[in-house]
Amino acid sequence: MATDTGGEFDGSELRAGLGLDDPRRLLRGAAGLAGFVALWHLVSLTQPPLVLPSPVAVAAEFRGQLASGAMPEALASSIRHWVPGTIAGTGLGVAAGVAFAWSGLLDDVSAPLVRLLRPVPPLALIGFAIAWFGLNHAGAAFIIAVGGFWINFYATYGAVEGVSDDLLDVGRTLGVRGDLDMIRSIVVPASLPGITTGIRTGLGRCWMLVIAAEIFSVPGVGREILRASNNLRVDRAIAYIFVLSLMYLVVDVAFRAVQRRVLAWQA
Amino acid sequence: MAGVNRGPGAGEEPAGSGAAGVADVAVDGIGKTYDDAGTPVQALDDVSFGVDEGEFVCLVGPSGCGKTTLFRIIAGLTEATDGEVRVAGAPVTGPTTDMGVVFQEYHLFPWLTVEENVGFGLERTDVSAAERERRVDEMLDLVGLAEFRDSYPKSLSGGMKQRVAIARSLAVDPELLLMDEPFGAVDAQTREMLQRELLDVWASTGKTVLFVTHDVAEAVTLADRIAVMAAEPGRVAEIVDVDVARPRERGDPAFGEHVARVRELIGAGP
Repeated sequence: MATDTGGEFDGSELRAGLGLDDPRRLLRGAAGLAGFVALWHLVSLTQPPLVLPSPVAVAAEFRGQLASGAMPEALASSIRHWVPGTIAGTGLGVAAGVAFAWSGLLDDVSAPLVRLLRPVPPLALIGFAIAWFGLNHAGAAFIIAVGGFWINFYATYGAVEGVSDDLLDVGRTLGVRGDLDMIRSIVVPASLPGITTGIRTGLGRCWMLVIAAEIFSVPGVGREILRASNNLRVDRAIAYIFVLSLMYLVVDVAFRAVQRRVLAWQA
Repeated sequence: MAGVNRGPGAGEEPAGSGAAGVADVAVDGIGKTYDDAGTPVQALDDVSFGVDEGEFVCLVGPSGCGKTTLFRIIAGLTEATDGEVRVAGAPVTGPTTDMGVVFQEYHLFPWLTVEENVGFGLERTDVSAAERERRVDEMLDLVGLAEFRDSYPKSLSGGMKQRVAIARSLAVDPELLLMDEPFGAVDAQTREMLQRELLDVWASTGKTVLFVTHDVAEAVTLADRIAVMAAEPGRVAEIVDVDVARPRERGDPAFGEHVARVRELIGAGP
């Protein structure tokens, strides 16, 4: 009989998250990656660097940007709006998702509004970001928060709606009284698998939104990609795209480790 | 039967032993009509019966006779259209910790360990942390799951899950134990074991038990009295006293007679 006691963190979640617990899978993944780079190199030999630079050229550009300090600076700047934007979007999205799914009244009142606002792409709100917050980190964080909000809102809303009435009944017979107690002790824990999946998706989406958020010249990785593209520096654009990919990977692996731990009770 | 020593060190005695934790139930003229796409459907009509303090009563009937609706009304989870339910003289107006409720599908909280599931209700009472721990230990011992206290429900068998559910409902020391087909989802062998264990728990706690089942043999095995329900509309057709000494054996002729009698009343044939 398995007994999950949730012991001390021993790094197993992290290894699992990176796929290091399955050597064969890891090997195949590495082979896939190597194959992709090789194919890219071969194709790049037939194309001018303006169309497709070789992986070697991109790597050299990456090293150059890293060494000059331009890349760390851009990344630090992006993080300065990614972090608050992601936290605000995630927090508000989860909170609103719980509140609207739980309260029939709130749901009725907000449903038409939600349908109206949902299709608005974060990029379309740039005017508001500038008007309300200015050409700064706060404005960029706003764009990121909007994108993160909706993913978390819908994921949480769906998860809360899916909580079984029977668990709520059991809670009532065991003395759970009032909405707050019910939400805290049953609704949120029961919806945690759905909520954390939403958070994880949102974390990735927020990295993608870094480009949109920096389109109006707030410094960061996104602006470097846009600038490099405008200057036809495809090698530099790709180097900075890799920065976004790497950041996404780091955050995703870390969050998956947290998620596995929080959901240790799941099959 | 129930002891009275409730102090620390009374390890064998479950919490709630003693007359204070026992109540009588009065189901008085309960009717339930619900609306099915514009047509009123009468699920229950003038259902009345009583359960004495410390008594074990089974509610049996064919499917569709409103057993579960009646169970939910008694538990305070569904409102009746007519009549009222009184527990220890007080009308039931909603779910209360005076009643421990056990459902067929266990409904354990999957994110909590066995120990945390059992202690869930106690966290909402004013008992001290030390007393809470003692009671959880006692309940786990009572259902024989002390060694699985740190397991999550996913790793337990159906029978073990139902034991946890029983311990969870008893931990808050309810006056009445309400059970809705609690052993309906486990295999026959486990079911018989759980029936024996439930009788032991009942004997050692002295709780009043109201147990819903569609299994006539199960009702005859467990109950002091059986309220036999009939369908369309759901009503109590008759109340049968089970005058068979415990432990009851299925091979006993008296056992067979009671089973036959109840089956006849339900109309399910011999």
